[in-house]
Amino acid sequence: MAAKGGAAPATYSPSPTTFKKKRPPIFTDVDWVRPDGRDFHQCRPAFLRTGAVNAASGSAYAEFGNTKVIVSIFGPRESKKAMMYSDTGRLNCNVTYTTFATPVRGQASSDNKEISSQLHKSLEGAIMLDTFPKTTVDVFALVLESGGCDLPVVISCASLALADAGIMMFDLVAAVSVSCLGKNLVIDPVSEEENYQDGSLMITCLPSRNEVTQLTITGEWSSPKIHEAMELCLDACSKLGKIMRSCLKESASTSTSTSQE
Amino acid sequence: MPYQQHHSLSRATQFDKPNLIMQLFTPRDMKLVIKQPLFSLIDPSSRERKMVGSANGATDLSSEMEVDAFRRLFPLRFHERHLLESVRPDARSLGKARETSLALGAVASADGSALAKIGCTTMLAAIKMEVMTPSKEAPDEGCVAIDFHMPPICSPIVRPGRPAEAAPVASKQLSDTIISSGMIDLKELSLVSGKAAWMAYLDIYCLDADGALFDAALLAAAAAFSHLQIPVVSLNDDGRIVVVSKENGEKPKNKPVNEEKRKLKLRSIPFALTCILHKNYILADPTAEEESIMDTLITIVLDTSCQLVSLYKPGGPALAYESVLQDCIALSRQRVKELQKILNEAILDMDVD
Repeated sequence: MAAKGGAAPATYSPSPTTFKKKRPPIFTDVDWVRPDGRDFHQCRPAFLRTGAVNAASGSAYAEFGNTKVIVSIFGPRESKKAMMYSDTGRLNCNVTYTTFATPVRGQASSDNKEISSQLHKSLEGAIMLDTFPKTTVDVFALVLESGGCDLPVVISCASLALADAGIMMFDLVAAVSVSCLGKNLVIDPVSEEENYQDGSLMITCLPSRNEVTQLTITGEWSSPKIHEAMELCLDACSKLGKIMRSCLKESASTSTSTSQE
Repeated sequence: MPYQQHHSLSRATQFDKPNLIMQLFTPRDMKLVIKQPLFSLIDPSSRERKMVGSANGATDLSSEMEVDAFRRLFPLRFHERHLLESVRPDARSLGKARETSLALGAVASADGSALAKIGCTTMLAAIKMEVMTPSKEAPDEGCVAIDFHMPPICSPIVRPGRPAEAAPVASKQLSDTIISSGMIDLKELSLVSGKAAWMAYLDIYCLDADGALFDAALLAAAAAFSHLQIPVVSLNDDGRIVVVSKENGEKPKNKPVNEEKRKLKLRSIPFALTCILHKNYILADPTAEEESIMDTLITIVLDTSCQLVSLYKPGGPALAYESVLQDCIALSRQRVKELQKILNEAILDMDVD
């Protein structure tokens, strides 16, 4: 919507990154440095907090490096009128991007149906749907800034928000992805690494039950590489699970301590 | 009033004890209603509503529950009872705005950004600069495009695929206010006369909707413009504008065209205050609950020198008399001073970092 009268003129981003399509040689070397200076097998520091949106029944905010995500949970509330009767509850997931999430404005705002359905698939196995029959739980995510690994961050954040909303779950869902770049495996890749990756692998799992709800592998992989990547992911998931658990404990203890004052 | 009762009764089915509704009519509960703000004073945090009862131990659970039920069943009576005591359910006085905070530079991928919070209402504004060819009528002017979004995360009313009605209305209103206030000189957005100029895309996202959305959105927008750092660009051989990257170390072939103009000079920043008119009460900075119960709103926008920029009263059952308008403007004047201080402090904080 242009603020001045008439049709909005065509605009372009002055940033030169859009023209560079070739993979820089740095990514093919055996010993290169990651853009943010991490080790190959080191995740970004995770910042998690529950109760970000007061209007929702439960919510969480997650920040992994430059990836910033808010997830709100609404419900369990009445299912849509058109829906058939169901003994088990329904889960409705939706992921949207802000227009400024990507380096070039409005790049990611179109194709999020796929991400929404992947979010749905990775969560539904963990939620006790029969605890809220006939109703729907809405999981809405907004990616404020996309800095790589958006889907895993959304999934982990959503499970935290579900816990904050008091939705019954078998376990928290932790998600981690690994990128394969030439001979190297890098965990928790940033967008730049994701752009040049040969393949990616994402695991979403229930860390304390050691169960996998979703495993996505794309691109070129060899079997030993897949094994190595899965080990890496599962290990990182269990660590992320611990961080999520401590975040929930912290928010529970602060809310009881303020109420006692 | 009668239809509101009816409407709320359908919600009452959520409660376990059906006889609770009967208890609501006893005069004992009217006293309890007044107790509520005191309770809120102790813990004004957002968590208060969710953990009703746990504060005073299990014995008080039933009485707190009754206050909450009364609030849901007779919202108007609940609020009017408070107004009689010149206090609001969140323990504010009538003319007082909620606690406001501002953080600049919240989004790294944008050229300018700010997060504004008024009470629980949260707005994230970010500006992305793109290049356009200016129109023939105004070859030396850039452009500002303002969009206000209410994503489904912000409120239980908004569902995906069905955008909130309030969003396009607020979008237009914000756009009108910012352009007409003269805060931004569009000439400053010019790069190469007649060839290239900046288009500033300002997107404001409501992250949490709890009333006074316009006020928070305008504050976030003004703050994002104060934070805006225009990238240094040059004209390349194809006639396109490209960012001058510092990483290369070598001197760029083409001279930057805007080295001196990296910050906008903001003149007379507009600030808004929304008030509710109800009977002869004026409630400043309403919450979403108050907005839904008492629906005459009036939004006043003043600039830094307290000149009136815009006055918006979209209908409603209460009429605004001259004296009421004067009172609202007086409240807005105070609020402008507060907001200006908050904005200046946020800018200073950023400069220190």
